[in-house]
Amino acid sequence: MLNYIWAGLIIASIVFALGYDASDIATDRYRNGRPLPVALAFPEGYDPAARRVPVEIRMETREYATFYGTDQTPASGYPGYLLQTQEGRQLRFEAGAKLPEPLATIGKVSRSRDDELQGRLVGFTSPAAGETEAAAAGVVFQPVRFVKLNAVAAAGIDFARTAAEIAIGLIGVLALFLGLLKIAEDAGIVFALVKLVRPILRPLFPEIPPDHPALGMIALNLTATLFGLGNAATPFGIKAMEELQTLNPSEDTATNSMVMLLAINTASLQLVPPVLLLALMGTQINTLIFPILTTTVLGLIVAITAARLLGRLPGYRASDPKRTL
Amino acid sequence: MDTVRDVISLLSYFVLPLILVSFPLYGLYKRVPVYESFVEGARDGFQVAVRIIPYLVAILFAIAMFRASGAMEALTRALDPVLGMIGFPAELLPMAIVRSLSGSGSAALVVDMINQYGEDSILVKMAAVMYGSSETTFYVIAVYFGAVNIRKTRHAVPAGLIADAAAMVIAVWTVRLLFG
Repeated sequence: MLNYIWAGLIIASIVFALGYDASDIATDRYRNGRPLPVALAFPEGYDPAARRVPVEIRMETREYATFYGTDQTPASGYPGYLLQTQEGRQLRFEAGAKLPEPLATIGKVSRSRDDELQGRLVGFTSPAAGETEAAAAGVVFQPVRFVKLNAVAAAGIDFARTAAEIAIGLIGVLALFLGLLKIAEDAGIVFALVKLVRPILRPLFPEIPPDHPALGMIALNLTATLFGLGNAATPFGIKAMEELQTLNPSEDTATNSMVMLLAINTASLQLVPPVLLLALMGTQINTLIFPILTTTVLGLIVAITAARLLGRLPGYRASDPKRTL
Repeated sequence: MDTVRDVISLLSYFVLPLILVSFPLYGLYKRVPVYESFVEGARDGFQVAVRIIPYLVAILFAIAMFRASGAMEALTRALDPVLGMIGFPAELLPMAIVRSLSGSGSAALVVDMINQYGEDSILVKMAAVMYGSSETTFYVIAVYFGAVNIRKTRHAVPAGLIADAAAMVIAVWTVRLLFG
């Protein structure tokens, strides 16, 4: 299942990205190669000999809208500069300018080394030296193609890095709680817990022998989740998984108990709402405690039922590492 | 209701310190060499973190590409008529899909919706309940199964997704029942 979902996500992202890009090309959304009409004013006067002339770039709202076929409106003027070289003139928008779409997207492709939106200036007749009045011209940007496809690839690379950062960030907390758990094991706390929670948890995890520490770890994991202690819940859950793995005859296949533990954890029964939600919703959260609790409890019931019933399907029964041959 | 809530939130302040302090104290009482035990257990922290890296990378990178591709918007448009029939607001579909895929992504969606509709709108309430009432299934699968190198997850994904889907629909219903 995970194989198909995983491949499906990747295939879907490529297909949809290509679809969006194809429609961009079909509608010529970025007007590749066509000059965008602009007017250039020279606050410090035009200097034909200077390599770099500061300009104010003006775009008329109606002209912009008809050119790109959009309802976005540009600001009245953008600071920028004119770069005059032997090869011709280049217009650059100052970096960090709040550009309307699709100029903002174009700026991600047609840009200078300093992240300025840049384009080739055409149809510009140089005014007299010292002139400050606006002169009409056109800007041709570098062609923009396959924006989505590139965005998809960039996101993939970005999150590969994020994933490793998340895992590395877990080391300290993991070490802390795994250390505490070792003390708890050695001191017999886990064993005492096993006896305490056996009546509740055994029906959910019938495969675990009655005196096995896995039950105690699961109890700790669920308690931590219940009180919204994500930091502690993850190490406890991982430890519980490790205990379950000691009972697993297979190296790489999940047992029914593991699936059950996972289902319970994804439903995440907690009495206190997540801290982040508290921060976002402010006092509104008070009215939401009850619906959140109701939803989690019902979700938990569905999760347990689904894990139990799906495990009985012939296909999943055949892949059960603990099946009796 | 309020007193119950106060007691619970008060308790939750104490659980973490209690775990941090009581385990070593009780260990001491039981004559366990607490420091040595702690260090021995903590040694696994690094291995476990490293072990889950491939699983997390696999899951997060695929999900990030999916979200960047605009597939979600297309899906929202395609499923709009179906959702109308079961009384599920189309505005919440991205939230319902992202909730199982990405924790930070669904939090960002809640923020977006607050900015767009305001905290006291019923849509934001529904989104908040969706966010608060379930976990990021794929993250949990990557971390928990990754830690023990389980690759064949059997019915874990369908079970988790069925529970997520149910929670999303239940969230809409309960909020509508209470505030609608």
